[in-house]
Amino acid sequence: MAEQKLGNPAVVGLAGFGLTTMVLQFHNVGWMGLGPVIWLGLIFGGLAQMIAGLQEMKTGNNFGYCAFTAYGCFWIALAAMLIGNQYNLYVSSKTDVGWFLIAWTLFTAILWIGSMRISSALALTFTLLLVGFILLDLAHFGFPALTVVAGYELMACAAMAWYIMAHLIFADVFGRDVLPVGKPWLRPRSTPAATLKAAQA
Amino acid sequence: MGAGKLVAALTVASTLAMGGIAAAGEDAATPEEVVAKVSAASRFLHDKGASGLAEFNSKDGQWVWKDSYVFVYDCRLDRMVAHPLRPDLVGRSVMQITDNNGKFIFKELCKAGDNKRGGWVEYLWTRPGAGNVSRKITYALGAEMAFSSGLQVAAGVYDDKATAAELLELTQKMTDPTKYPAH
Repeated sequence: MAEQKLGNPAVVGLAGFGLTTMVLQFHNVGWMGLGPVIWLGLIFGGLAQMIAGLQEMKTGNNFGYCAFTAYGCFWIALAAMLIGNQYNLYVSSKTDVGWFLIAWTLFTAILWIGSMRISSALALTFTLLLVGFILLDLAHFGFPALTVVAGYELMACAAMAWYIMAHLIFADVFGRDVLPVGKPWLRPRSTPAATLKAAQA
Repeated sequence: MGAGKLVAALTVASTLAMGGIAAAGEDAATPEEVVAKVSAASRFLHDKGASGLAEFNSKDGQWVWKDSYVFVYDCRLDRMVAHPLRPDLVGRSVMQITDNNGKFIFKELCKAGDNKRGGWVEYLWTRPGAGNVSRKITYALGAEMAFSSGLQVAAGVYDDKATAAELLELTQKMTDPTKYPAH
Protein backbone atom coordinates (compact mmCIF):
# COMPACT_ATOMS: atom_id res chain seq x y z
CA MET A 1 0.00 0.00 0.00
CA ALA A 2 1.38 3.39 -1.02
CA GLU A 3 2.10 5.71 1.89
CA GLN A 4 -0.48 8.46 2.24
CA LYS A 5 0.88 11.93 1.60
CA LEU A 6 0.79 14.11 4.70
CA GLY A 7 0.23 17.88 4.73
CA ASN A 8 2.68 20.23 6.42
CA PRO A 9 1.10 21.80 9.54
CA ALA A 10 3.33 24.85 9.05
CA VAL A 11 1.12 26.11 6.21
CA VAL A 12 -1.79 26.56 8.62
CA GLY A 13 0.41 27.85 11.43
CA LEU A 14 2.00 30.46 9.18
CA ALA A 15 -1.39 31.42 7.74
CA GLY A 16 -2.91 31.99 11.18
CA PHE A 17 0.17 33.75 12.53
CA GLY A 18 0.42 36.00 9.45
CA LEU A 19 -3.22 36.90 9.11
CA THR A 20 -3.88 37.66 12.77
CA THR A 21 -0.64 39.62 13.08
CA MET A 22 -1.63 41.59 9.97
CA VAL A 23 -5.10 42.43 11.32
CA LEU A 24 -3.70 43.51 14.71
CA GLN A 25 -1.37 45.90 12.90
CA PHE A 26 -4.29 47.30 10.89
CA HIS A 27 -5.66 48.16 14.31
CA ASN A 28 -2.34 49.43 15.68
CA VAL A 29 -1.90 51.93 12.86
CA GLY A 30 -5.47 53.12 13.39
CA TRP A 31 -7.29 51.70 10.35
CA MET A 32 -9.74 49.50 12.25
CA GLY A 33 -11.17 48.64 15.65
CA LEU A 34 -10.43 45.66 17.88
CA GLY A 35 -13.45 43.40 17.21
CA PRO A 36 -11.98 41.28 14.39
CA VAL A 37 -8.62 41.11 16.20
CA ILE A 38 -10.26 39.42 19.19
CA TRP A 39 -12.20 36.83 17.19
CA LEU A 40 -9.39 36.06 14.77
CA GLY A 41 -6.99 35.99 17.70
CA LEU A 42 -9.10 33.33 19.37
CA ILE A 43 -9.84 31.19 16.32
CA PHE A 44 -7.19 31.55 13.63
CA GLY A 45 -4.10 33.01 15.27
CA GLY A 46 -5.03 31.12 18.44
CA LEU A 47 -6.83 27.81 18.04
CA ALA A 48 -5.77 26.95 14.46
CA GLN A 49 -2.14 27.94 14.95
CA MET A 50 -1.99 26.07 18.24
CA ILE A 51 -3.39 22.90 16.68
CA ALA A 52 -0.91 23.24 13.80
CA GLY A 53 1.81 23.57 16.40
CA LEU A 54 0.68 20.41 18.19
CA GLN A 55 0.64 18.57 14.85
CA GLU A 56 4.28 19.58 14.31
CA MET A 57 5.22 17.17 17.09
CA LYS A 58 4.68 14.14 14.84
CA THR A 59 6.81 15.64 12.09
CA GLY A 60 9.74 15.77 14.50
CA ASN A 61 10.10 19.53 14.03
CA ASN A 62 10.79 20.95 17.48
CA PHE A 63 11.11 24.52 16.21
CA GLY A 64 7.66 24.48 14.61
CA TYR A 65 6.21 22.54 17.55
CA CYS A 66 7.34 25.18 20.02
CA ALA A 67 6.82 28.30 17.87
CA PHE A 68 3.34 27.60 16.51
CA THR A 69 1.98 26.23 19.78
CA ALA A 70 3.43 29.15 21.74
CA TYR A 71 2.30 31.92 19.40
CA GLY A 72 -1.10 30.23 19.16
CA CYS A 73 -1.30 30.52 22.93
CA PHE A 74 -0.07 34.11 22.70
CA TRP A 75 -3.08 35.01 20.58
CA ILE A 76 -5.55 33.22 22.84
CA ALA A 77 -4.04 34.93 25.88
CA LEU A 78 -4.09 38.32 24.17
CA ALA A 79 -7.74 37.96 23.13
CA ALA A 80 -8.61 36.80 26.65
CA MET A 81 -6.82 39.83 28.11
CA LEU A 82 -8.80 42.15 25.83
CA ILE A 83 -12.06 40.49 26.87
CA GLY A 84 -11.03 40.55 30.54
CA ASN A 85 -10.29 44.26 30.33
CA GLN A 86 -13.69 44.93 28.81
CA TYR A 87 -15.53 43.04 31.55
CA ASN A 88 -13.38 43.97 34.54
CA LEU A 89 -12.05 40.43 34.87
CA TYR A 90 -8.39 40.20 35.97
CA VAL A 91 -7.79 43.58 34.35
CA SER A 92 -4.36 44.19 32.78
CA SER A 93 -3.05 47.75 33.06
CA LYS A 94 -0.94 49.28 30.31
CA THR A 95 2.14 48.41 32.40
CA ASP A 96 0.97 44.81 32.84
CA VAL A 97 0.58 44.47 29.07
CA GLY A 98 4.07 45.95 28.70
CA TRP A 99 5.59 43.24 30.93
CA PHE A 100 3.57 40.56 29.11
CA LEU A 101 5.15 41.80 25.88
CA ILE A 102 8.64 41.85 27.40
CA ALA A 103 8.30 38.16 28.35
CA TRP A 104 7.29 37.38 24.76
CA THR A 105 10.22 39.45 23.49
CA LEU A 106 12.66 37.32 25.50
CA PHE A 107 11.03 34.11 24.30
CA THR A 108 11.11 35.34 20.69
CA ALA A 109 14.83 36.14 21.02
CA ILE A 110 15.51 32.44 21.70
CA LEU A 111 13.54 31.29 18.67
CA TRP A 112 15.17 34.05 16.60
CA ILE A 113 18.56 32.42 17.16
CA GLY A 114 17.13 29.03 16.16
CA SER A 115 15.50 30.51 13.06
CA MET A 116 18.93 31.56 11.77
CA ARG A 117 19.85 27.89 11.34
CA ILE A 118 16.75 27.18 9.24
CA SER A 119 16.41 29.62 6.32
CA SER A 120 16.95 33.27 5.38
CA ALA A 121 13.20 33.86 5.05
CA LEU A 122 12.50 32.45 8.52
CA ALA A 123 15.42 34.35 10.04
CA LEU A 124 14.08 37.54 8.49
CA THR A 125 10.55 36.81 9.78
CA PHE A 126 11.87 36.34 13.31
CA THR A 127 14.14 39.39 13.08
CA LEU A 128 11.10 41.47 12.13
CA LEU A 129 9.05 39.85 14.91
CA LEU A 130 11.74 40.50 17.52
CA VAL A 131 12.16 44.14 16.44
CA GLY A 132 8.35 44.51 16.44
CA PHE A 133 8.13 43.20 20.01
CA ILE A 134 10.91 45.54 21.14
CA LEU A 135 9.10 48.50 19.54
CA LEU A 136 5.88 47.48 21.33
CA ASP A 137 7.78 47.14 24.64
CA LEU A 138 9.07 50.70 24.22
CA ALA A 139 5.57 51.85 23.24
CA HIS A 140 4.32 50.56 26.60
CA PHE A 141 7.12 52.15 28.61
CA GLY A 142 7.24 55.79 27.66
CA PHE A 143 7.21 55.96 23.86
CA PRO A 144 3.55 55.47 22.85
CA ALA A 145 4.15 56.86 19.35
CA LEU A 146 6.15 53.71 18.53
CA THR A 147 2.93 51.66 18.38
CA VAL A 148 2.39 52.91 14.84
CA VAL A 149 6.00 52.22 13.84
CA ALA A 150 5.65 48.70 15.27
CA GLY A 151 2.41 48.39 13.33
CA TYR A 152 4.02 48.93 9.94
CA GLU A 153 7.10 46.92 10.90
CA LEU A 154 5.00 43.93 11.99
CA MET A 155 2.97 44.08 8.77
CA ALA A 156 6.27 43.25 7.04
CA CYS A 157 6.72 40.38 9.52
CA ALA A 158 3.23 39.03 8.75
CA ALA A 159 3.92 39.31 5.01
CA MET A 160 7.16 37.33 5.49
CA ALA A 161 5.25 34.58 7.32
CA TRP A 162 2.85 34.42 4.37
CA TYR A 163 5.83 34.30 1.99
CA ILE A 164 7.09 31.13 3.70
CA MET A 165 3.54 29.73 3.67
CA ALA A 166 3.35 30.48 -0.07
CA HIS A 167 6.77 28.87 -0.57
CA LEU A 168 5.49 25.63 0.96
CA ILE A 169 2.13 25.64 -0.83
CA PHE A 170 3.50 26.67 -4.24
CA ALA A 171 6.33 24.13 -4.06
CA ASP A 172 3.64 21.51 -3.49
CA VAL A 173 1.14 22.59 -6.15
CA PHE A 174 3.64 23.61 -8.86
CA GLY A 175 6.03 20.77 -8.16
CA ARG A 176 9.04 23.07 -8.00
CA ASP A 177 10.40 25.77 -5.69
CA VAL A 178 8.72 28.96 -6.97
CA LEU A 179 9.50 31.16 -3.95
CA PRO A 180 12.91 30.27 -2.51
CA VAL A 181 13.46 30.82 1.21
CA GLY A 182 17.25 31.14 1.01
CA LYS A 183 20.06 29.49 2.91
CA PRO A 184 20.30 29.65 6.71
CA TRP A 185 22.10 32.72 8.10
CA LEU A 186 24.09 30.45 10.40
CA ARG A 187 25.77 27.58 8.56
CA PRO A 188 26.83 24.34 10.25
CA ARG A 189 30.47 24.60 11.19
CA SER A 190 32.66 21.80 9.82
CA THR A 191 34.47 20.50 12.87
CA PRO A 192 37.33 17.96 12.58
CA ALA A 193 34.98 15.34 14.10
CA ALA A 194 32.30 16.07 11.49
CA THR A 195 34.85 15.93 8.68
CA LEU A 196 36.11 12.59 9.96
CA LYS A 197 32.56 11.26 10.22
CA ALA A 198 31.82 12.44 6.66
CA ALA A 199 34.99 10.78 5.39
CA GLN A 200 34.07 7.50 7.10
CA ALA A 201 30.54 7.55 5.69
CA MET B 1 -28.34 98.63 70.86
CA GLY B 2 -24.92 98.63 72.49
CA ALA B 3 -21.66 98.74 70.60
CA GLY B 4 -20.98 95.11 71.49
CA LYS B 5 -24.26 93.98 70.00
CA LEU B 6 -23.65 96.04 66.88
CA VAL B 7 -20.26 94.41 66.34
CA ALA B 8 -21.81 90.98 66.88
CA ALA B 9 -24.59 91.73 64.38
CA LEU B 10 -22.08 92.98 61.80
CA THR B 11 -19.96 89.90 62.34
CA VAL B 12 -22.96 87.66 61.78
CA ALA B 13 -23.98 89.64 58.70
CA SER B 14 -20.51 89.54 57.19
CA THR B 15 -20.17 85.86 57.98
CA LEU B 16 -23.45 85.22 56.22
CA ALA B 17 -22.37 87.33 53.27
CA MET B 18 -19.06 85.51 53.01
CA GLY B 19 -20.86 82.23 53.38
CA GLY B 20 -23.07 83.27 50.51
CA ILE B 21 -20.08 84.04 48.33
CA ALA B 22 -18.41 80.80 49.31
CA ALA B 23 -21.58 78.91 48.43
CA ALA B 24 -21.65 80.54 45.01
CA GLY B 25 -17.95 79.69 44.56
CA GLU B 26 -18.60 76.06 45.45
CA ASP B 27 -20.73 75.68 42.33
CA ALA B 28 -17.81 76.41 40.06
CA ALA B 29 -14.98 73.91 39.61
CA THR B 30 -11.48 75.30 40.14
CA PRO B 31 -8.47 74.71 37.87
CA GLU B 32 -6.80 72.79 40.71
CA GLU B 33 -9.76 70.43 40.94
CA VAL B 34 -9.73 69.99 37.18
CA VAL B 35 -6.04 69.03 37.15
CA ALA B 36 -6.55 66.64 40.06
CA LYS B 37 -9.62 64.99 38.50
CA VAL B 38 -8.07 64.68 35.03
CA SER B 39 -4.83 63.22 36.42
CA ALA B 40 -6.85 60.76 38.51
CA ALA B 41 -8.91 59.84 35.44
CA SER B 42 -5.75 59.16 33.45
CA ARG B 43 -4.39 56.87 36.19
CA PHE B 44 -7.80 55.22 36.54
CA LEU B 45 -7.88 54.24 32.86
CA HIS B 46 -4.28 53.04 33.01
CA ASP B 47 -5.24 50.68 35.82
CA LYS B 48 -8.80 49.71 34.88
CA GLY B 49 -8.46 49.36 31.11
CA ALA B 50 -11.52 49.45 28.88
CA SER B 51 -13.72 48.31 31.77
CA GLY B 52 -13.21 51.73 33.35
CA LEU B 53 -14.68 53.64 30.42
CA ALA B 54 -18.33 53.06 31.36
CA GLU B 55 -17.95 55.19 34.51
CA PHE B 56 -17.18 58.23 32.38
CA ASN B 57 -20.61 57.94 30.77
CA SER B 58 -22.40 58.23 34.10
CA LYS B 59 -23.64 61.70 35.02
CA ASP B 60 -23.96 60.65 38.66
CA GLY B 61 -20.49 59.16 38.94
CA GLN B 62 -17.23 60.41 40.43
CA TRP B 63 -16.18 62.14 37.20
CA VAL B 64 -18.91 64.77 37.34
CA TRP B 65 -18.64 67.45 40.02
CA LYS B 66 -19.88 71.01 40.50
CA ASP B 67 -20.15 72.49 36.99
CA SER B 68 -17.44 70.28 35.47
CA TYR B 69 -16.95 66.74 34.23
CA VAL B 70 -14.27 64.53 32.69
CA PHE B 71 -14.74 63.36 29.10
CA VAL B 72 -12.68 60.80 27.17
CA TYR B 73 -11.80 60.90 23.48
CA ASP B 74 -9.46 59.12 21.09
CA CYS B 75 -7.25 61.43 19.05
CA ARG B 76 -5.98 58.68 16.80
CA LEU B 77 -9.30 57.03 16.01
CA ASP B 78 -11.06 60.45 15.96
CA ARG B 79 -13.83 59.44 18.34
CA MET B 80 -15.61 60.56 21.49
CA VAL B 81 -15.12 57.57 23.77
CA ALA B 82 -17.12 58.67 26.83
CA HIS B 83 -18.99 61.82 27.85
CA PRO B 84 -21.21 61.98 30.95
CA LEU B 85 -23.49 64.78 29.75
CA ARG B 86 -23.54 64.35 25.97
CA PRO B 87 -24.30 60.68 25.18
CA ASP B 88 -25.20 61.83 21.67
CA LEU B 89 -21.51 62.54 21.03
CA VAL B 90 -20.20 59.15 22.24
CA GLY B 91 -18.84 57.05 19.38
CA ARG B 92 -18.97 60.03 17.03
CA SER B 93 -16.11 61.66 15.19
CA VAL B 94 -14.82 64.73 17.06
CA MET B 95 -12.12 66.36 14.96
CA GLN B 96 -14.58 68.37 12.90
CA ILE B 97 -16.31 69.89 15.97
CA THR B 98 -15.83 73.66 16.08
CA ASP B 99 -16.94 76.30 18.59
CA ASN B 100 -18.81 79.48 17.64
CA ASN B 101 -15.50 81.10 16.67
CA GLY B 102 -14.65 78.31 14.24
CA LYS B 103 -11.94 76.82 16.50
CA PHE B 104 -11.42 73.07 15.97
CA ILE B 105 -11.76 72.17 19.64
CA PHE B 106 -10.50 68.58 19.54
CA LYS B 107 -7.59 69.29 17.23
CA GLU B 108 -6.42 71.82 19.84
CA LEU B 109 -7.17 69.50 22.77
CA CYS B 110 -5.24 66.64 21.15
CA LYS B 111 -2.26 68.89 20.55
CA ALA B 112 -2.31 70.14 24.17
CA GLY B 113 -2.90 66.68 25.64
CA ASP B 114 0.06 65.32 23.69
CA ASN B 115 2.43 67.12 26.05
CA LYS B 116 3.74 64.92 28.82
CA ARG B 117 2.01 66.98 31.52
CA GLY B 118 -1.00 67.89 29.41
CA GLY B 119 -2.13 71.35 28.38
CA TRP B 120 -4.96 73.89 28.41
CA VAL B 121 -7.21 75.00 25.57
CA GLU B 122 -9.82 77.76 25.63
CA TYR B 123 -12.99 77.66 23.55
CA LEU B 124 -16.72 78.29 23.75
CA TRP B 125 -18.97 75.54 25.12
CA THR B 126 -22.30 75.25 26.91
CA ARG B 127 -21.96 75.30 30.67
CA PRO B 128 -24.03 72.54 32.31
CA GLY B 129 -27.35 74.03 33.37
CA ALA B 130 -26.87 77.22 31.35
CA GLY B 131 -28.58 77.85 28.05
CA ASN B 132 -25.92 79.88 26.30
CA VAL B 133 -22.28 79.23 25.53
CA SER B 134 -19.55 80.30 27.95
CA ARG B 135 -15.83 80.64 27.67
CA LYS B 136 -14.46 77.26 28.77
CA ILE B 137 -10.84 76.53 29.44
CA THR B 138 -10.05 72.85 29.45
CA TYR B 139 -7.16 70.74 30.65
CA ALA B 140 -6.35 67.75 28.40
CA LEU B 141 -4.02 64.89 29.34
CA GLY B 142 -3.03 61.60 27.69
CA ALA B 143 -4.44 58.41 29.21
CA GLU B 144 -2.31 55.33 28.73
CA MET B 145 -5.00 52.67 28.63
CA ALA B 146 -4.06 49.09 27.73
CA PHE B 147 -4.63 48.13 24.07
CA SER B 148 -5.17 51.71 23.08
CA SER B 149 -3.05 54.65 22.05
CA GLY B 150 -4.17 58.19 21.46
CA LEU B 151 -6.69 58.24 24.29
CA GLN B 152 -7.00 61.50 26.24
CA VAL B 153 -9.05 62.71 29.19
CA ALA B 154 -10.09 66.31 29.74
CA ALA B 155 -12.18 68.58 31.95
CA GLY B 156 -12.59 72.32 32.07
CA VAL B 157 -13.54 75.41 34.05
CA TYR B 158 -15.88 78.14 32.89
CA ASP B 159 -13.87 81.27 33.36
CA ASP B 160 -13.74 84.60 31.58
CA LYS B 161 -10.27 85.62 32.65
CA ALA B 162 -7.85 82.72 33.16
CA THR B 163 -5.38 82.18 30.34
CA ALA B 164 -3.94 78.90 29.11
CA ALA B 165 -0.40 80.11 29.93
CA GLU B 166 -1.33 80.96 33.54
CA LEU B 167 -3.03 77.64 34.07
CA LEU B 168 -0.14 75.75 32.52
CA GLU B 169 2.14 77.26 35.14
CA LEU B 170 -0.26 76.11 37.86
CA THR B 171 -0.41 72.65 36.33
CA GLN B 172 3.34 72.34 36.16
CA LYS B 173 3.55 73.24 39.84
CA MET B 174 0.86 70.68 40.69
CA THR B 175 2.25 67.85 38.60
CA ASP B 176 5.92 68.37 39.40
CA PRO B 177 6.69 67.26 42.97
CA THR B 178 10.07 69.04 42.88
CA LYS B 179 8.23 72.36 42.62
CA TYR B 180 6.20 71.76 45.79
CA PRO B 181 7.49 73.60 48.84
CA ALA B 182 9.28 71.12 51.06
CA HIS B 183 7.07 72.02 54.09
